Amino acid sequence: MGSDIFEVSVNFLKMIVIFLMMVQLVPLLVWVERRGSAFIQNRLGPNRVGPLGLMQLLADAVKFLTKEEFVPAKGYRFLFYTAPVIALIPAALAFGAIPLSAPIRVEAFEWLGRNWGPYTFAFQSYEIGIGIVFVLGASSLAAYALLLAGYGSNNKYSLFGALRASAQTISYELALGLSLVGVLLLFNSFQFSEIVAQQAGPMSFQFLGKQVTVPFLPNWGFFYQPLGAVLLFTAFFAESNRLPFDLPEAEGELVAGYHTEYGGFKMNMFYIGEYGHMMVASALMTTFYFGGYTIYPWLTQESVSSWFSQFTPTQASLLTALVLHLVFMAKVLLFLWIFVWVRWTLPRFRYDQLMDLGWKTMLPWALGNTIVTAIVILIMRTNWSGQ
Amino acid sequence: MMSLGPAMFYVFAAILVFFALSVIMSPNPVHSALYLVLTMISLAGVYFHLNAQFIAGVQLIVYAGAVMVLFVMVIMLFDIKQELRAFTKGLISGALKVASAAFVAGYLIGTFKDVSVGSQSASLAGNTDITKELALMLYSKYVLAFEVLGLLLLVVAVGAVAVSRVKGGTHAKH
Repeated sequence: MGSDIFEVSVNFLKMIVIFLMMVQLVPLLVWVERRGSAFIQNRLGPNRVGPLGLMQLLADAVKFLTKEEFVPAKGYRFLFYTAPVIALIPAALAFGAIPLSAPIRVEAFEWLGRNWGPYTFAFQSYEIGIGIVFVLGASSLAAYALLLAGYGSNNKYSLFGALRASAQTISYELALGLSLVGVLLLFNSFQFSEIVAQQAGPMSFQFLGKQVTVPFLPNWGFFYQPLGAVLLFTAFFAESNRLPFDLPEAEGELVAGYHTEYGGFKMNMFYIGEYGHMMVASALMTTFYFGGYTIYPWLTQESVSSWFSQFTPTQASLLTALVLHLVFMAKVLLFLWIFVWVRWTLPRFRYDQLMDLGWKTMLPWALGNTIVTAIVILIMRTNWSGQ
Repeated sequence: MMSLGPAMFYVFAAILVFFALSVIMSPNPVHSALYLVLTMISLAGVYFHLNAQFIAGVQLIVYAGAVMVLFVMVIMLFDIKQELRAFTKGLISGALKVASAAFVAGYLIGTFKDVSVGSQSASLAGNTDITKELALMLYSKYVLAFEVLGLLLLVVAVGAVAVSRVKGGTHAKH
């Protein structure tokens, strides 16, 4: 929370701004998705409204807000209205716990006749000690949105979609959690800020008890855990219900699955939830495997803050955080583009193929990755020369 | 840091009791299951304010995120109105209900008699995360119980696969 009124209000403001940032990224992503799909399929996509079709987003927003609102006559009214809200909350909660840039240090200053002490503001909505465990826990609640939507609509297709979605989410959650264990063992922490800090320097590890440094490579998790990274990214596709794992809303079989009966802004909230999950997934990939908000050797906290040496420490810290935030967002956008790219490239799985992939392929590989990583870390960090 | 911890603990405890009561008082089984989900989430909040942050996170992932999804899904799938009617009528189920109410009441009275206020506030005052202590305890003092439980879960998983392969389904033996 904070020790005085300034810190508390900045923290509250931060929460709101980061949430709005996440929501505002959604229309842009929709635009990227539509233009990207058109590009991949050799079409033009929306290019008439405004420059590059960007005003299409505003037109869509007006359309979402003014559409007719209805509840299925035999549906469960309360659950039907709750589901879109629940679709939004887990992604927003999870995204808020991920640091988007280096913390900002504000030196002591005088304002309104009072001395305000030095502060450190983390560039995230709130800091939680268990970091990744909380993010996984919060995002695992997203299954309820689909279940409630399916049940509340009281429609066979919706219910089928909801059942598929929940079975899929539970199955891939195991592989998702296990594929992360390797990188957690490696960095020995649950906390995002610590994991990013360890990836900021040059590649440096212990080889049979001796410290080895590779100066031209960054110390990114991907170089130690490539299998874990691939498994995690695949599991996130399943968790966010996107192609090739979009069986819950398979148009050919289920009309539109769990959101068959939804329209207008309620439908839009499901979209925000889905894109929110993609953002959480991209942010986690960046944080765990691709150095978070640093790129060694050009863009680390030290090198960026040396650009702003003529400013006061507070301004320099703020500017550094902004530059590093741009670095982070560039990486996140790269992963978001891969999400779009894969969606319009791969066909949908069959249901038994989906379950086989989750339980018989990804789970054993993730388990094996965990065990091998643990053994290798033990061997490498033991001091064999006995000194 | 503002010390909101103890106050938030009681807020979450009150919410927890309210949702737990709603689970057993709601007439619709689907609503009961959904209240149980909310109970699990508020239990995670209570754990969090007892500094058991890791247990709170695992509570969210395992119980709220996985186990209860299965419960809710199964209850939505089956039309259990008949079972419900069978359970709410009859002498035997009535006797069972009275017996369980008496059991819960006795349990509550016993808890209130044994509770000592001093020991409770000590655990609330600390502000350190107990994840590391928990891990050390699990892998040193309670390692046997922990491994036996793991083995039990493995046996259950293998048994479930064996049972489901006997008849029907996409992965049945031919």
